Amino acid sequence: MAAKEFTFRCLKCGHEYQGMYDAKNVTERSCPKCRSNSIRRLPAGKAAKK
Amino acid sequence: MMDVGRHPRVELMTFSEVETVSGFVGNFHVTVRKKARYVDPTECTSCEECSKVCPVAVPDEYQQGFSSRKAIYIPFPQAVPSAFILDMDNCLGNNPIACGKCSDVCEKKCIDYDDQDELVNIEVGVIIAATGMDVYDPTEYDEYGYTRFDNVITSMEFERLICAGGPTGGNFMRPSDQERPKRIGFIQCVGSRSRDGRGNPYCSNICCMNTVKDTLLLCDHYPDTESSVFYMDIRAFGKGFEDMYMRSKEEGVKYIRGIPGEVVEDPKTGNLILTVENTTTGKLEQHELEMLVLSQGVIPRKDNDTIKKLLTLSSTSDGFIMESHPKLKPVDAPTKGIFIAGCVESPKDVKESVTQASAAAARASILLNAGKTKVEAITSQVNAELCNFCGICATVCPYNAILAPDRKAKKPPTIIQAACAGCGACAAECATDAITMRHFTDDQILAQIDAILSHKPHEHLITFACNWCSYAGGDNAGTSRLQYPTTSRLIRTMCSGRVDEKFVIRAFKMGAPMVLVSGCHFADCHYISAVHWTQKRMDRIWTKMEKLGIRPERLQLEWISAAEGQKFAKVMRDLEETVKQVTMEEIEHSMKVMAEEEIRMAEKKAKARPKPVAEVAV
Repeated sequence: MAAKEFTFRCLKCGHEYQGMYDAKNVTERSCPKCRSNSIRRLPAGKAAKK
Repeated sequence: MMDVGRHPRVELMTFSEVETVSGFVGNFHVTVRKKARYVDPTECTSCEECSKVCPVAVPDEYQQGFSSRKAIYIPFPQAVPSAFILDMDNCLGNNPIACGKCSDVCEKKCIDYDDQDELVNIEVGVIIAATGMDVYDPTEYDEYGYTRFDNVITSMEFERLICAGGPTGGNFMRPSDQERPKRIGFIQCVGSRSRDGRGNPYCSNICCMNTVKDTLLLCDHYPDTESSVFYMDIRAFGKGFEDMYMRSKEEGVKYIRGIPGEVVEDPKTGNLILTVENTTTGKLEQHELEMLVLSQGVIPRKDNDTIKKLLTLSSTSDGFIMESHPKLKPVDAPTKGIFIAGCVESPKDVKESVTQASAAAARASILLNAGKTKVEAITSQVNAELCNFCGICATVCPYNAILAPDRKAKKPPTIIQAACAGCGACAAECATDAITMRHFTDDQILAQIDAILSHKPHEHLITFACNWCSYAGGDNAGTSRLQYPTTSRLIRTMCSGRVDEKFVIRAFKMGAPMVLVSGCHFADCHYISAVHWTQKRMDRIWTKMEKLGIRPERLQLEWISAAEGQKFAKVMRDLEETVKQVTMEEIEHSMKVMAEEEIRMAEKKAKARPKPVAEVAV
């Protein structure tokens, strides 16, 4: 299964960003803004808050 | 290599590949593919008659392509066994019209064109992985002109050119006109210590001293040669290395602190004009050189991923294989019975590799001589009556310590106790609670949660900390006298992968305003990849919380290493502020819905379990 693009949301600062996710090759997540690791991969179809 | 080849108790399997590895410490089953050599090594006397008549010429990989070899050849002079090998990809074949000359001249008749690969099964007690490294290809550093200019070569190519056994017989010459270069430059850190997206961020460890050695060779063989080394730092940290560096300087080698920005070629002479900012003087300099050597870095082998899968190992972010513990178990792999040595673990020189190999051999012999091993006290076990044979436990296990269940035969999973390391990821993922842990049991952890939250629960931050990193990070914060709020309560688990969804649910049900799950950084995970499951599970719990009307922000996740005491304290301080923002209404809501969720989950688990035989009969 190839990596797909998902929206990730930082649960510390609320920053949202796009990133790739591959269930077979999980990588460590870190917020590009605040460096927190509480990064939630939003379910597919869940639009990013603007 | 020769000694190993001759040793009566060492079976050397060259030109072979490991296909599969199964089993566990003391009982590994390994399948090795012995590739077809097309020449019988026991009969071949290396007389070279075959290669003399072979009409095929292909670039010689050992000589970095500076000379050619035949289709039937000895890979390198010290190869063990000292026998020829037939490169079937380039051989014209045995059809008499096409060729077959090597077979005709071979007196011993040891060439067999129909030779086939052979699969060999062996049983071994321990495995040492010493698969080495590759070298970085500097082509992407276009400004240096490698592959564009003939006289820009890599340090590996330089080795062959100056070697007496090299393609020029030790007559050092530059590729463009076969003249001996008299002004030679070396650029250090090509593909190492790079932060611009090219190459690798780590130091390759060996390049500085390799260049110092090369400059001394040049001074010794060709005293009229001018050598210049362009560098960031010279890292001469080993025994006698500083002396060697100083000797190179005393011999007249110029060390210029600065990495060149551009190299252009003079098309008439083939000389190279190099522009560099000398950071010692702060001036821009130009150097005309007759040859430029790129001191290329070291990279993990391209088949390291295969090795990782075969041996259930993990790697650092650099791609090198990770050791069990950098200080206390530097040659042990996380999987019991597997040891690592040499550049498979990190870039290192010969001395360090030999030291590590000796240590690995000693560690291996301890296990082999004892004939038995101690099993971890904390391992998982299966309650066969509760298992629904889904097999998730076998998928989750980073050590392949769980033999998958057989649904048709109603056979539950089998846990190989000798291979289980006790991370608890299987117990956390098991949908029916059929897998339990010896020590750090569900009941023990739930009891801790209940006890912590029995008094003023809304003031407490529940933190699940993994034993190896986050908990140690907390210790580090404490011993460093770093201040963090006293309201945080730590619950230790062996791995963050052990943190079951029900622990989080129980914490919120008991009135916790916030929960923090913390574990090792991915590259530091003591249990290979168990931490990956933590992150996947957290995604699931966050989604569930949102569905239940609880802010996902109340469950936080942090990767904190044992050395990150400061991060631990900062996370605790930050979360203390967030805890204050959680209202009593929110806490009461989560207590109510999580109580209902706990009951619902218990019912779901009971449903998922196989029905007792008596109940089915009714």
